[in-house]
Amino acid sequence: MAQRSTSRRKQDKGEKFMDYSLLFIVLFLVGFGIVMVFSSSSYEANQKLGDSTRYLRQQLFASILGLVAMMVVANIPYHFWERFAVLAYLGSVVLILLIIPFGHSSGGATRWLYIGPISLQVAEVAKLGMILFLSSLICKLGKGVRSNKGFLIVLLSPVPVALMLWQITNNLSSAIIVMGIAVLMLFVSCPDYKRFIFLALATLAAAAAVVFYVVQTAQAHADELDFRGGRILAWLDPEAYANDKSFQTIQALYAIGSGGVLGKGLGQSMQKRGFLPEAQNDMIFSIICEELGLFGGIAIIIMFLLLIWRLMIIANNAPDLYGALLVVGVMGHIAVQVILNIAVVTATIPNTGISLPFISYGGSSVMFLLIEIGLTLSVAKGIRLKDL
Amino acid sequence: MENKMSHKTYHRSKTVTVFFLCMLVFLGLAARLVYLMVFQSEYYSMKARELHERERSIKAARGRIIDANGKILADNKTVCTVSVIHSQIKNADEVVEVLSKELGLSEEYVRKRVEKYSSIEKIKSNVDKATGDAIRAKSLPGVKVDEDYKRYYPYGTLASKALGFTGGDNQGIIGLEVIYEEYLKGEAGTILTVTDAKGVEQDEEGEERVEPVNGRDLYVSLDINIQSYATQLALQTMETKEADRVSILVMNPQNGEILAMADVPEFDLNNPYTLPNGMDASAFSEKKRQELLNAMWRNGCINDTYEPGSTFKIITAAAGLESGAVKPTDTFHCPGFIMVEDRRIRCHKVGGHGAEDFVQGTMNSCNPVFITVGLRIGVERFYSYFRQFGLLDKTGIDLPGEAGTIMHKMENIGPVELATISFGQSFQITPIQLATTASSIVNGGRRITPHFAVRAVTMDGSDSQSFTYPVRENVVSAETSETMRYILEQVVADGSGRNGAVEGYRVGGKTATSQTLPRGSGKYIASFLGFSPADDPQVLALAIIHNPKGTYYGGQIAAPVVRQLFENILPYLEKK
Repeated sequence: MAQRSTSRRKQDKGEKFMDYSLLFIVLFLVGFGIVMVFSSSSYEANQKLGDSTRYLRQQLFASILGLVAMMVVANIPYHFWERFAVLAYLGSVVLILLIIPFGHSSGGATRWLYIGPISLQVAEVAKLGMILFLSSLICKLGKGVRSNKGFLIVLLSPVPVALMLWQITNNLSSAIIVMGIAVLMLFVSCPDYKRFIFLALATLAAAAAVVFYVVQTAQAHADELDFRGGRILAWLDPEAYANDKSFQTIQALYAIGSGGVLGKGLGQSMQKRGFLPEAQNDMIFSIICEELGLFGGIAIIIMFLLLIWRLMIIANNAPDLYGALLVVGVMGHIAVQVILNIAVVTATIPNTGISLPFISYGGSSVMFLLIEIGLTLSVAKGIRLKDL
Repeated sequence: MENKMSHKTYHRSKTVTVFFLCMLVFLGLAARLVYLMVFQSEYYSMKARELHERERSIKAARGRIIDANGKILADNKTVCTVSVIHSQIKNADEVVEVLSKELGLSEEYVRKRVEKYSSIEKIKSNVDKATGDAIRAKSLPGVKVDEDYKRYYPYGTLASKALGFTGGDNQGIIGLEVIYEEYLKGEAGTILTVTDAKGVEQDEEGEERVEPVNGRDLYVSLDINIQSYATQLALQTMETKEADRVSILVMNPQNGEILAMADVPEFDLNNPYTLPNGMDASAFSEKKRQELLNAMWRNGCINDTYEPGSTFKIITAAAGLESGAVKPTDTFHCPGFIMVEDRRIRCHKVGGHGAEDFVQGTMNSCNPVFITVGLRIGVERFYSYFRQFGLLDKTGIDLPGEAGTIMHKMENIGPVELATISFGQSFQITPIQLATTASSIVNGGRRITPHFAVRAVTMDGSDSQSFTYPVRENVVSAETSETMRYILEQVVADGSGRNGAVEGYRVGGKTATSQTLPRGSGKYIASFLGFSPADDPQVLALAIIHNPKGTYYGGQIAAPVVRQLFENILPYLEKK
């Protein structure tokens, strides 16, 4: 309580702490994302829609909206959100359920709700909702989280949302991210390592079992596999499925590999010219590599690492556990999503639709990410300068 | 408060752990990037280039075929292919209107192709260059005019069976065109352009060109003047004698160069798939049509064999003289027939030639004389001379489909077969084989290889490659050769070949009249083989008339053909 009152006092005195490093990194990523969305989409947008700036304009609009929302959220003391924890959870569930009657499809998956002119990807809401809900829940549980019962409550509470995301919106990647966020928040709030090592090993074993099962089934009767099974096969041997299942993966590898050390130069990608469909979406990192080379690709990885480092600093200096958990949730969200995206694009793991935070085209994604950064900035404002 | 602090401590260390875990994974991903973008870069760049580049070939001009005088027998003419690229068309109506008008096609036909969604659609090929240029000048977006070469034969039907023609891809189908394909065809060039996934060219990427290498010009020994005259004579003879077919072969017996090869009826090289006059292609099945075309393209001088008849007595005589079985002064008696075992073989002169020496026997083309000589030589010796003269092998002429000699097996030759072989019956050879063997006998005993191609020269003249052909020396002795020249000159001067004599020139030769199989069909082949000058032959001609009506004796109808040919070409060759 003392901390909270000091932070308030600071704000009252106008000694607002703004984490400019974090702000700069985020602004850089958003700006860079807009440039890359334009670069990777303009050719196809011009060919198909006769409007080369279509995606650029939409992304620019969503980014500006997101930045405004970020600044608003940054100026709201973060404890304001504590009371909406259960609402956030239930809201996520309701939005996902609304997909069944009202969902809009794109690219074969039904993931969007239309609210007037704005399309909303409910998974993005669910990720933010889960961060808000779990931060509050873990604070409520207090020491109780260390017990097996508390551990299970935190671990199982996001499962219904994840299952719904997977089954209703056919979006396994978002389900994985939601679970990832939960596990990381739980990890930070429990002092032990044992249970997490066990959890990690169990997950690895389950993944290995799935891969093994898919390979076995493929040898016996390949037609019984669904598209995810096919994606695992395509991951194991991309060249063998180059024309169908691993088409996207192979095209992304061509883009990355042909970029070389220095890249072809901004705007010079060949793969975006119809070879890699929807290059501005999940596979945008491959176009970055093709145009800006290994240096560009590694620079982006470093920017994300800096972002996570800033989030770690803020989490560790947060005035209270609730704030720290909020920032850890955001950190988990961004880290898991960046890692999964780059791993998919480089064919390190099987293909699953996952966007690169701040950079991939997608209004909902960039807006909600910026709102999460707003939350983080709000937490950062509570830090006493002498703590740093 | 204390509680909170302990919270904080492990919270902090765990958040740091998360950060370092992330860093570890990021490092792994960066390593993966280094692997893909440094070590695998070449492989993926190559794969990507293959994907992005489209190859268009630039046709090479096919080498020309040029005669002994430098006249072009086979040439290239530029034609155009007009196509449309759907995605680039701006004004479809205008394109349809212009193309249907310029190309003389119906609007519906053009519109169907213009509106078809395909990367490139061919409207018409083999459009002449003027029309192609006119369309290109309109520079309609989406309309492409590509230039192409089409084979063109300025002399139409002349030497059609020897020259041959080319198919749709300008590849040789028959004749010299197919034998010298390697020299004539050249190497196609390529244009590599970078395109997007739909095949739209990316101009800023430029293009990579590999220039085509044109084919080599083929210089042949064929002389268009001699060929024209021989063809004219053959056609005239075919008409007046109502013959099925007339072949005239003119070659240089010293080196085997062929000066003319006419085998009428010939066909139009510029329309090789048009059936002979009066035949409606649609009236036949595909198979039958192909058979008719093959028959039309068939070169009687090399693809078909026939019974040579008395012209073969040149070979019997040479074998007899070479083996010592006969001397020119040996005397014979012909009562009009000869008994071989129990068979009575008649001479063509029913009353018989009476007493005659070997030279007179040859002048008379007396069968009993040659049967006697043949029997004296004997089967084994005769056969070994056939082999020595090269009769049993193909001549190796540079035309496709040369037929081999059809001869009895040695062990099946009895006295009767030997007797018939002696005067040129019961076996078959090609006209080119007869002319080549006769050449070797009269040229001093060198078995030459008959041929057309002299040299292959690059179009810019920078490199010339001469062809050499095998020559086998001493197939007969110089002495026998000289005797043969003397005897054959007598045949023309005062014997059965006197109709082949040319005033002012020394001509040697031999006539032949052979009944075609089956015997008694009333069909004959009349032929005459002549050469000049008789003491040092520079030109040898063989005229064969298949199934003439009326008079069918070689001395009566074939010798005059060679005489007329020689009257015309001997002064011409002297001038050269």
